[in-house]
Amino acid sequence: MAAISREEFVDLLQDEIGLAVGGDDLGRALDEVPGWDSLHLLTMLVLLEKRVRRPLSLPDFLEAASLESVYELVNR
Amino acid sequence: MAETPVRLLSVGTALPGPPIDTAALAGAFGMDQVWRQWVDTFIGTRTRHLAVDLSTGERRDSLADLGERAAVQALTRAGISAEEIDVVVLGTATPDTLMPATVNVVAERLRIDGVPAFQLQSGCSGAVQTFDVAASLLATGRYRTALVVGGDVIAKHYDVKADLTALPPDELVNYVLFGDGAGAAVLSTAGPPEAPVLRSVLTRLSGLDRAPGQILRWYGLADRDATEAPASEDYKAIEEFVPVLAEETADELLDDLGWDRAEVDYLLPPQLSVAMTGKITARLAFPAAEEVSCVAETGNNGNALVFFQLDRLLPRMTRPSRAIAVAIESSKWIKSGLALERA
Repeated sequence: MAAISREEFVDLLQDEIGLAVGGDDLGRALDEVPGWDSLHLLTMLVLLEKRVRRPLSLPDFLEAASLESVYELVNR
Repeated sequence: MAETPVRLLSVGTALPGPPIDTAALAGAFGMDQVWRQWVDTFIGTRTRHLAVDLSTGERRDSLADLGERAAVQALTRAGISAEEIDVVVLGTATPDTLMPATVNVVAERLRIDGVPAFQLQSGCSGAVQTFDVAASLLATGRYRTALVVGGDVIAKHYDVKADLTALPPDELVNYVLFGDGAGAAVLSTAGPPEAPVLRSVLTRLSGLDRAPGQILRWYGLADRDATEAPASEDYKAIEEFVPVLAEETADELLDDLGWDRAEVDYLLPPQLSVAMTGKITARLAFPAAEEVSCVAETGNNGNALVFFQLDRLLPRMTRPSRAIAVAIESSKWIKSGLALERA
């Protein structure tokens, strides 16, 4: 079972980080996500840590090409 | 500059409390590894000093406390007594009170009285602005020796109980960038020949039709429940514009002085963060200049930054040598820079 479902991930991006993304946007490159920047990366990882209840490591995510990649890393 | 050269006789600095490393900062806010890794990667600041006790929220040092300490150190190093100070200029974005102006509180503690004292409401260009005002006054010949001070204490904006996961990015960034501190310098037309000469100083408002990159609000009885964030930062605009303005400033200084880029021995670049300072220094491309920076240890302490850089420059400034400092204020966008030369 996934640590966080795809729907929960999209909700977190929309509601808690304020990104205007839907489920269809997960495959977009991070730098194509409207408004995306490194502070969003920080907020996202801190919130995901709380949600999945395990420590995450930044270097794993620096190479993530898309939100989909982030989602897969969190559920690995 | 003035026909009688204005010399930089000394610099003093003051930091509150012990250095707080990123692990301690993260721990105080309940953050862990990924937060530390992010600060290390995207900000790069290793330590900062805060006038507030992170565990209790208690405020330990005021701007006047730090300004006084820095000024005493500068006066002592210059061998100048308070009675010999003819004018005082202080720059800050975070005065202890709006009235009395903190410059006058610092002056009183130093037993300075009966002289002009000015306070500039300023940001990262504040130190250079104090130099500009002081040097202009010294150039009139009416005054001989000036004490300039700059510093910031962000305790008011540092909520130790804040939930950093709930803050929007434009507020969160304040917790990872800034620190507290104060600096001071003694400028004089009566200095010894070995003291560096202030060859040029410029400040340029560059904010026409450009939205503020940083906003600090203040509240009173009638609007104390305002919902606007007291401190917020358009960090994307800052990332975009500060390197451009820094380059324009350095180029203007060099043009005014007729100095070749390769003739500058020391570069004091803008101190936003280790990461941003690195990018800007590379862009400024002074081929022979040694970088003099402080932000990795002090954090971004606004009006104090250039003083901390000068404090590091003076002991290592060989003779002869030339130094250029560039500072950019991103609130309403102010370019500033100064040039020093040691014969």
